[in-house]
Amino acid sequence: MNKRKGNPADTLSDMLALGDIITRLKSMRVPADALTWHRFSGSLLLVLLVLLFLSGAFMAFYYSPVPGTAYDSVDYALFSVPFGDVIKGVHYYSWNVLLIIMGLHLVRAFIVGAYKSPRQLVWVSGVLIMLLLPALIITGDLLPWDQNGFWTTQVRISIIASVPVVGDFMVRLIQGGPLTGIVALTRFYVLHIFFLPVWLVFLVVIHFHFLKQRGLSGSWAENHSNRQTISFFPQLVNRWLLLFLGVTLGLGLISWYWPAPLGDPADPTDSTFVPRPEWWVLFLNQLVTVFKGSLTVIGSVIIPGGLAALLIALPFLDTSPDRHPARRKKVILIAVTIAIILLGLSIMGYLEHFNETHA
Amino acid sequence: MSKKFILSIIICLALVAGGLLIGPDEVTGMAKQTVTAAKVEKAPAGLDDPVWQKAKAVQVPFEGKEKFAGKKATVSTKAVYTADEIYFRFNWKDADKSVTKGAWKFDGQKWSHQEGNEDRISLLFEIERIDKFATKGCAVVCHVPAGKTAKDGKFGTISAAEKGDLWHWKAARSDPAGFADDTWLTQISEEKGGRKSDAGKGGDQKNMTADKSKPMYMLAPGKKLAANDILLVAHAVEIKDYSGFKAGDTLTYRMPKMPEGSRADIKALSRYADGSWTVVLYRSLDTGNDDDTAFNPRKKYNFAMALFDNSGDEDSYDSEVLTLQFAR
Repeated sequence: MNKRKGNPADTLSDMLALGDIITRLKSMRVPADALTWHRFSGSLLLVLLVLLFLSGAFMAFYYSPVPGTAYDSVDYALFSVPFGDVIKGVHYYSWNVLLIIMGLHLVRAFIVGAYKSPRQLVWVSGVLIMLLLPALIITGDLLPWDQNGFWTTQVRISIIASVPVVGDFMVRLIQGGPLTGIVALTRFYVLHIFFLPVWLVFLVVIHFHFLKQRGLSGSWAENHSNRQTISFFPQLVNRWLLLFLGVTLGLGLISWYWPAPLGDPADPTDSTFVPRPEWWVLFLNQLVTVFKGSLTVIGSVIIPGGLAALLIALPFLDTSPDRHPARRKKVILIAVTIAIILLGLSIMGYLEHFNETHA
Repeated sequence: MSKKFILSIIICLALVAGGLLIGPDEVTGMAKQTVTAAKVEKAPAGLDDPVWQKAKAVQVPFEGKEKFAGKKATVSTKAVYTADEIYFRFNWKDADKSVTKGAWKFDGQKWSHQEGNEDRISLLFEIERIDKFATKGCAVVCHVPAGKTAKDGKFGTISAAEKGDLWHWKAARSDPAGFADDTWLTQISEEKGGRKSDAGKGGDQKNMTADKSKPMYMLAPGKKLAANDILLVAHAVEIKDYSGFKAGDTLTYRMPKMPEGSRADIKALSRYADGSWTVVLYRSLDTGNDDDTAFNPRKKYNFAMALFDNSGDEDSYDSEVLTLQFAR
């Protein structure tokens, strides 16, 4: 008892009645390779999500979701608040890196067959998280009320409007009227800082729940019966905190030297502005370009929707117990073909939008 | 383990490279012309200082308006900045050096104003955001009433919350004193435009007698005419005896004053040679005055320019709006 009183951490733990929880966390064992040099994408995604939440909360303190003041409030947060542009940069680069890491995470899970029984719902919840991210990015893009965000939103809204039957209704629901104005900005803001993050947290919790229940997938070559373990707390938590610190510093430095962009204030009367699609959406943009007129729905809904459905359904379509890629040639071949097509479309989109000479 | 380690390093490097590839410029739309101010340790000492070679010249196109309609001009524009100051260097072709600005000429019997105006270049930045200036440029601060001509137009913003910082280099009225006129824009009213002089003193003084028939001042003994043979107010003395003037003598009509206070923020260097003007304007990045734009090198700024070739305010060559950014 005297020893406990002498330790401030134990004293605090007693005060907050956290003793049982800490004991349970300390006794929890996780695979030793849960977070290592060669396996870090899942933990890195969590780091990036936390950074997005923290930097987003900082920006929300200064943000005014009204077209007349939104841009100026962002400008103020960036250039009048100390390190404001660095924090905005961390937010900007975090989601860019998040998309890359999420792609790698998905590819790794696919290659090692991590979606197979008993981890089907780990995969499904992960795919749902990935599908939710574009909604967060789309709603976030409009918030600074700059030219790129405004006109990119117009392009996206026109694509949504092209969806048969429900397109116009969805646009009205999103925009709250025929134009992208104060109601649209308010709705995008509420979606971006409340509804979508709540869904994201919910899905992440679900993902971790299934992960804990079904276990972390290992390499197909590993002998799982002899898998080494470490304690969740403090070993795994300390590794994660180290990663968090490193990534925060790294992204902070990148943001310091290459600040996040803030374009010109939105001018809804300036129809000469042609927004360029962001890198992660190039293939979708190209699909809309390929399928024109009455076929637009193929590029805007059927193919992207089909791909999303295919990803979600993968664990239930490929039910063989084999995890080694050499014994899953058919699935791997289909995936590689789809990946090559998407990459080709992205390259076409890049050449069309970024490789042109402007007078 | 070593293979895994190497693989991890490769992945990390690839991610960093990927992050850098997703540069901020990749997500912007159609680019406006951008003038990038190069960072220099030592301020340029003159118009031809080698330090200017560190800055990339941007050829800014100008479209003629009113009497210059259909004509075009190009101004080669460079910028550099130090820890404290920003420098702009402009070079443009102009067949004639115009610095007359109604100077007096004596024909042996009487004094009269000579034909001719002056060459000028002006820059407009935002102090407080001017709605749509970023996309429409100077067009949003030129207000010509319906059915009227450009000469009847008012120059200013449409609300008091919007403020512009107008740098106005005048070959005859400011340059000889070594400055550009530092003014600012605010809301227009029913009666007048919104162009105001910065706090302090400056501008020019008309050199004429009360009956406006002849000049009132001449060069004081021991003083010299300033650049472009212009008489400065500080170097002028009242004419007591007009009998000493002979036919063909000229005297400055608009005498520049030495500016003081915030109006003296923008210093100027210039040269007219080989049919072109070269002008350098420079001032503190942040003057601390609320009638000036405070430049933060981490931020981008919109600005637009106008060129006046021996002409009044309504006859100009105007640029599209440009972006000023600061290189690291």
